[in-house]
Amino acid sequence: MVKFLSEEWIEIGKKYMIEKLDPVKDLKSITTSLLGVVEHIPPDDSTMNFYLELEGGKLKDFIVNTGYTFEEKEAAYEIKGNYGTYKSVLKGEMSLGIAVLKNRLKVKGSKMAALKLIKPLDGVIVSLQEITDEFEE
Amino acid sequence: MTEALLSTIGGKMTLDKVLSTEKAELEEAVKIANKGTHCGMCKVDFLESGLCPAGKKHGFAAYWPEGRMEIVKALYSDKIKPTKELLEIANSCTICGICDKQCNFITHLRPEKVSKALKEYVNKLDDKDIVTIPENQTLKDIRSIVGERWASNDPAVIVSYTKTIITEDAGVNFYVVMPETTEEVAEVVKYADKNNIPYLPRGNGTLLSMFIETLLAKAVGLEKGIIFDFRRLRKLEIDIDNKTATIGVGITAFELQKEAYKHEMRALVAEAEAHLCVNIASVGIISTWGNTYGWGSDNFIDATLVNSKGNIVRHSDEEVSNPYSTNNKFTNLTLTPSKIITEATVKLHPIFEDEEALLIPFEKLDDTLDLAMTLAKRNIGLSLAVISSKYLSEFICPTNEIAEDFDFIAQNYLKMNYLLDVICDKYDKKTVQDLADVFIDENMMKSLILGSPRLASLKESEFLKILSEEKDPLKAIFTGPMRKHLEKALDPSPEQISKVFDEDLQDFFKKVYSKPEMTDVVWLHSFRILPSRLMRQRMFMLRGGYIVADKEKILNLNKMLKETGDKYKLSNALGFISFIENGKFAFVEYDYYFDHLDPDSHNRLNQAIVETLQLELKIKGLLPIEYVFHKGLHRKEHLFYPMPEGLSDDELKILGEMVQSVVGG
Repeated sequence: MVKFLSEEWIEIGKKYMIEKLDPVKDLKSITTSLLGVVEHIPPDDSTMNFYLELEGGKLKDFIVNTGYTFEEKEAAYEIKGNYGTYKSVLKGEMSLGIAVLKNRLKVKGSKMAALKLIKPLDGVIVSLQEITDEFEE
Repeated sequence: MTEALLSTIGGKMTLDKVLSTEKAELEEAVKIANKGTHCGMCKVDFLESGLCPAGKKHGFAAYWPEGRMEIVKALYSDKIKPTKELLEIANSCTICGICDKQCNFITHLRPEKVSKALKEYVNKLDDKDIVTIPENQTLKDIRSIVGERWASNDPAVIVSYTKTIITEDAGVNFYVVMPETTEEVAEVVKYADKNNIPYLPRGNGTLLSMFIETLLAKAVGLEKGIIFDFRRLRKLEIDIDNKTATIGVGITAFELQKEAYKHEMRALVAEAEAHLCVNIASVGIISTWGNTYGWGSDNFIDATLVNSKGNIVRHSDEEVSNPYSTNNKFTNLTLTPSKIITEATVKLHPIFEDEEALLIPFEKLDDTLDLAMTLAKRNIGLSLAVISSKYLSEFICPTNEIAEDFDFIAQNYLKMNYLLDVICDKYDKKTVQDLADVFIDENMMKSLILGSPRLASLKESEFLKILSEEKDPLKAIFTGPMRKHLEKALDPSPEQISKVFDEDLQDFFKKVYSKPEMTDVVWLHSFRILPSRLMRQRMFMLRGGYIVADKEKILNLNKMLKETGDKYKLSNALGFISFIENGKFAFVEYDYYFDHLDPDSHNRLNQAIVETLQLELKIKGLLPIEYVFHKGLHRKEHLFYPMPEGLSDDELKILGEMVQSVVGG
């Protein structure tokens, strides 16, 4: 169990998803990339992002960076929200769908296509919920 | 409760048990409170009875009758313990009886008994029964923006927002803030954003109170964080020369209309209790006047908003990107606002001296729509709508029982299932009279309003049985010789209708019903004080939405909504059908009524919501009501042109998963 957005979070997250998620059954063989921007991270109100790429349901990339953009890769979708919202999603207090409907997470890109991701991304979210237990207060 | 008293009962009874004994005295109050549905009309001086002095002074919902109802329930269920502020709330009630008058008119409840029981309960408590709620850093910070008095984390204050913005199981991990200016709103939003605190604004809470009872509760409500209560933003300025009004977000539809009427003008408003700015932003003002006055974005000239970063944005700012843009795709579903509206300048419209209401009764919806659409396309009628007999009955009858009998008589004896409801000037009146075989004029409407209890009492009468055997009962009763017999039988008078109220309120209601506006159909359409009666001790949920004004489409939608309501054993009926855009589009409201205290009823309602939404999404040319939420500030042209195509099965499956995610999460 690790801290959200730490290097360990990335490493264990990768390992967990590769080991536990079936590319066909769980990830519906999707090919997509996603940039998650996390604003207002305590204690110094910083911004970070994580880039996640799946190819045919297999995890290709999972990287964490500082700032709003990840210059080396262009993601198909961008989801932006504050640290508190990501924390609620990772603690299982709020679903990704509700966070989007509530405007807590703002989606850039085709919404219909983004909605198609919700089901397959469930597996990713559950994986990250499983490994994340520490947050900045 | 003193130690001495405890010792007199042998020390065997613990303090908690004593509190429980006293709580038992709240039982009767809880029974009343449970029936409350948060229509919000106790905050509107619609009967000229004055307003609750405590609510007016202190602002928070807790100090208003509807808030006290939630407090009593929370105390009784141990959700909250007595606090110092609870004592202040309870004792701020002067038992003046204003709430009984207002609430009895709408819901037939007596909330004063709740306030009285609460007062008696807290005054039996000892100092040590009172829990102290510390001021934490967040509250300190918020108070530094709005002033100490206008922010609270007291559980008694928090629970008063239950069932309008927070769900019953949400706990009390909230702050309530009542800013006075847009700048204060912006500062609080900035603070919340920076500190990862969720927040949600509310107007008077009526729309939220409907949705919080459904499977959409988690999506529309707030789980923790800051509740914005906007009652203090009360700017109300009329610009006579430009025929506009500038209003703060705390101004209700009734207050604006009252001010506009003083200058012989009319605003397009929502139901009386709605905070108008909020209503413009949420659903764009759905009204029977829409074909003439338009909807939300046709009616405001400028709007001031606070965005999610706490920046103040005005629609008239040159550098602002197109604020009207939106799309009509089914993925554009937003159940909470992305910006907070704090002020708007709205258009005012002329009132004509010769305005008059005509109601044309019909047996069949098909025929009603024929005439309605003919008039809508030719822009005849300042206000134009098809209403069901159920809607009419609910609005004009003073109790649920009378409304039920009235509706039974309308449908079974009079064959009056639908009415075309037109407000017209003298020119339109001629046309309508030429086209209609039978119509109910203002005098007859006055008789039906004041005589509704008497009509209901005729349910088993020979008079109505004979009438129903007429070839055309509507003609016989409204234009034939039987009209005078009916008017005599109704004995319509303020005295007559006041008798259905409790004895101590009868004098008051006699005076109320003696006022011309209470039977003036044009006034009632303008001020919209009656729709809250749909929430009279039970709830309803609206279905339907905007649809291409094609008769077959409307009839099919109505049929589908009826069949689904029947399938889930929900009392159901068409509400109304109004028009916009010169009769190009219609708004169809179909209502499912349910017992908000019955879990089984909730369950059936939720199933009906999911099923109807799925069926609605397949209809080409229909934009379900859910897709209009928070679109009122946008250009209607972007929403309605073109109307959606309807979803394919694949797309529906994806949305189904989305709904599942919402329900499950």
